[in-house]
Amino acid sequence: MKTEIKGAPTFAYLEVELAPGERIIAESDAMSSMAADMEVTAKLNGGFFRGLLRKLLGGETLFINQFKNESDGNRKLTLVQPWPGDMRQIRLEGNSFYLQPGAFLACSEGVTLGLKWAGLVSFIAREGLFKLAVKGTGDVWYGGYGAILEREIDGEYIVDTSHLIAYEPSIQLKLQLAGGFFSSLFGGEGLVTRVVGKGKIMIQSRSIPGLTGWLNPKLWG
Amino acid sequence: MNIEIMHRPGNAAAKVTLEPSEQLTAEAGAMIAMSGDIGITTTTHKKESGGILKAVKRMLAGESMFLNHFNASSQRGEIWLATTLPGDMMEHTLDNETLIVQGGSYVASEPDIEIDLGWQGFKSVFSGESIFWVRLVGTGKIIINSFGAIYPIEVDGEYIVDTGHIVAFNDTLDFTITKAGSSWINSFLSGEGLVCKFQGRGTVWCQSHKSSSFGQTLTSTLKPRSA
Repeated sequence: MKTEIKGAPTFAYLEVELAPGERIIAESDAMSSMAADMEVTAKLNGGFFRGLLRKLLGGETLFINQFKNESDGNRKLTLVQPWPGDMRQIRLEGNSFYLQPGAFLACSEGVTLGLKWAGLVSFIAREGLFKLAVKGTGDVWYGGYGAILEREIDGEYIVDTSHLIAYEPSIQLKLQLAGGFFSSLFGGEGLVTRVVGKGKIMIQSRSIPGLTGWLNPKLWG
Repeated sequence: MNIEIMHRPGNAAAKVTLEPSEQLTAEAGAMIAMSGDIGITTTTHKKESGGILKAVKRMLAGESMFLNHFNASSQRGEIWLATTLPGDMMEHTLDNETLIVQGGSYVASEPDIEIDLGWQGFKSVFSGESIFWVRLVGTGKIIINSFGAIYPIEVDGEYIVDTGHIVAFNDTLDFTITKAGSSWINSFLSGEGLVCKFQGRGTVWCQSHKSSSFGQTLTSTLKPRSA
């Protein structure tokens, strides 16, 4: 399997070339173009109940798609997330990685997707009640709205709500006011997420609630 | 005429250099800056041909009713073109051929290119594009734009493009609306639903992103229209 992220950072999309017999798993509606003889199968991920949980509580879709090249030559497809922004690839070697709702784009064979309770703190921080745990051996592609910043944490770090998109399992989330009472209320930051632990976190430079919050006062005159 | 597209793919802008007395036709509103001695005439149609009917047809395709014609003076001049949404732009040269462009993606063309309405049949209702398409016919350079990055796919046989991702294609290609998977059930469960299957031999230019998908991610937090 050959893959390349193109159009980054503003309009990143993933170009995939599958050799005969190879497969890739992708988020629902992520395919933008593909060879006409590609075999597409909708799959419930991790069974019906967990799939349903993913949809209702995790902000993810009930089905994910498997694209399989059943022809005898190389075949291409392109995958993309719904919003403009950057994309990252992570290689898993038996370890796991947490993705926030909506960040998942695709994974290779050997990677399993599981839903994990993220806690009320995560929900209040508008990061979703559940997080997606990807684990196994293989590659995972995920994306964000805007550019993606990477920070190596040892101790504590503060991230504004709805900007965290992925983190390592060694990291825990806590919620707190951005500053004192006054700056939290008037500084435009409100609640922030305090990430605690040792490991890597990924931050998106923009957020959908940020955009809609800006649009809403301008709508309907 | 020399066309240079800069700041691709996020904030594309086209710098068009006109030789003395050369002309460029562009969609109304596309010009963001130009040399002081370039003349503009605004018409509802291509110069010396067509008429109000063509303008109405172009409006149906999601384009502006008006076209601007830029005329260089006796000196070389430059024009900068850009679009409202962030996205990519592409230059392409037609050689006595026809290009079908998604409604709204036409930006500019050389004067010898005929700009007309393209009707691709009722299937367009399901294509995720506007029902009417812009048909560019003739010989010369053109500029088109998109939401997202533009990438070409050379089709020889069949290829699938998801609805809402088509920017333009050669008229040597035709498309049908079909299912993404091998079965209809799979196709709908997959979230892909209907797709466009291109047949023939030619190039289809796709946009990496789909404005309607982005729109859908916003709807849950946008406030509803009050009654």
